[in-house]
Amino acid sequence: MNALGPSLAPYIRSSRTLRKWVKPVATWYADLMGYRRMGLKYDDLQVEEHDEVQRALGRLTPREAYDRAYRIKIASHRSVLHKPLPKEEWLNPAEDTRYLQPHVVDVIKENEERAAWDSMTVQRK
Amino acid sequence: MLAARASTASRLARNFATVVDSAGVKVAAVDNGQPTSAVTFLVKAGSRYEPKPGVAHALKNFAFKSTAKRSALATVRESELYGGVLSASLSREYLALSSEFLRGDEPFFVDLISSFLTSGKYFRHEYSEYVLPVIEAESTAASLDPSVRALELAHTLAFRSGLGSSLFASPHSAVTLEDVKSYAATAFNKGNIAVLGTGIDQATLSKLVEKSLASASSSGTSSSTSPSLYFGGETRLESHSGPETVFIGFGAVGPTDPALAVLAAHLAPQASVKWSQGLSPISAGLPLGTSVQTVLLPYSDATLFGLLIQGPTAQGVKEAAKVATKALKEASSVKGEELKKAVAKAKFTAASALDARDGILNALSSNIFANAEVSIDATLASLDNVNEAAFSKAVSITKAKPTFVAVGSIQDLPYPDEVGL
Repeated sequence: MNALGPSLAPYIRSSRTLRKWVKPVATWYADLMGYRRMGLKYDDLQVEEHDEVQRALGRLTPREAYDRAYRIKIASHRSVLHKPLPKEEWLNPAEDTRYLQPHVVDVIKENEERAAWDSMTVQRK
Repeated sequence: MLAARASTASRLARNFATVVDSAGVKVAAVDNGQPTSAVTFLVKAGSRYEPKPGVAHALKNFAFKSTAKRSALATVRESELYGGVLSASLSREYLALSSEFLRGDEPFFVDLISSFLTSGKYFRHEYSEYVLPVIEAESTAASLDPSVRALELAHTLAFRSGLGSSLFASPHSAVTLEDVKSYAATAFNKGNIAVLGTGIDQATLSKLVEKSLASASSSGTSSSTSPSLYFGGETRLESHSGPETVFIGFGAVGPTDPALAVLAAHLAPQASVKWSQGLSPISAGLPLGTSVQTVLLPYSDATLFGLLIQGPTAQGVKEAAKVATKALKEASSVKGEELKKAVAKAKFTAASALDARDGILNALSSNIFANAEVSIDATLASLDNVNEAAFSKAVSITKAKPTFVAVGSIQDLPYPDEVGL
């Protein structure tokens, strides 16, 4: 299993009916998780202790890396205070983008490609 | 005996390449029957045309990274499987992307290089993870080598902008990925690309190039700058690594005069026989341990000719520079046998350079964009035509303002007036 963990999302997204039924539940659940109340994005919760994620973090633009550090700092502060942010400062669901996931996917693909080249057998045509 | 003669004649006759226009791209190939082939894509994307210092250097190091067809890793692994060698090199005028491989593998390698030219991805992470560290290492290595520094400074003094811009990225000027991308987008169009092949058939190469570069843009303008002017000047640079170095140079604009090659051959103090001193006017007076090299750098519209003097002590370099300058001034009176000897030496240098692949590529690269034919006979004939009048005319470039560069302990290294310039 890789850094991103198993996901049913691609399968659910591929079926229109499933998507229609699951989407509201997913939206409700994402809101319920509470990270947005601490000002975090979903990708800020990504487990950092993976080589793939570390490499992906290095690929963020300076702006993205700064914003991420800032959000985590705010969230830790709110955690110390045992209080979420005031409602007007909650993260807007529209801003909850996957800024890190594409980089992690790229890194995983690169590692898989390297493994494939390492273990390939050559057949001369 | 006769048969042997005939075969050498046919070899010589094949030792030239015709430049053919293949769908807007100039293609030249020489096949001398080597066991391996080499294909070089020559792009007018040298440091001369770069919009910002260091962009050409960054672009060179982006070569063979990810393209739409294959990732950087696949490029390396696949060419390893074919047993090929990929290399990129940068000169002031051209970026050369080369591959050497066994005969028969040309479709893969032509496709590999042209896919970089047509569909390079220029990933930000590749720039920071692979390209920038190499740029930094190359620039640092260059800055520690006094002869490289002297030549870089000499170009800047001699030509200022255009040919004067450095081959290496400077630590003081940031190059962003957007700069590299936009430079690649303007430079990589069909009018700027020429393909040179050795050990490969002209028709095969043309066909492959036509197919693989079909998607390259043909609309862009070809890279150009204002024509070079020679300025000259003097600079001194403190340096604590490597030998003490002095460069005395002179420049000329316009196409390269073959008589300058004869002048270089006349002055070059390298001995033709081991354990001897050499017969050049410079070699007799050189202090022990110092060396003098003649430098002749021809470009499409200018030439830099000079002497690179190196030695362990500043005093020795000063002596050697005096000897070299005196020989340079006295070169105008070279006549008869002396001149014939220099012509013969220059001819041999030119001819033996064409034995190696690099030499052929050099010779072709200077002519391919001008659509001129390259043949060893023409080169040798032009050297043969150098008579006393032509030679003394070439020597007269030393009357212009010299380019003088001193790198090392600048308190002790000579000033131009001290060596007689």
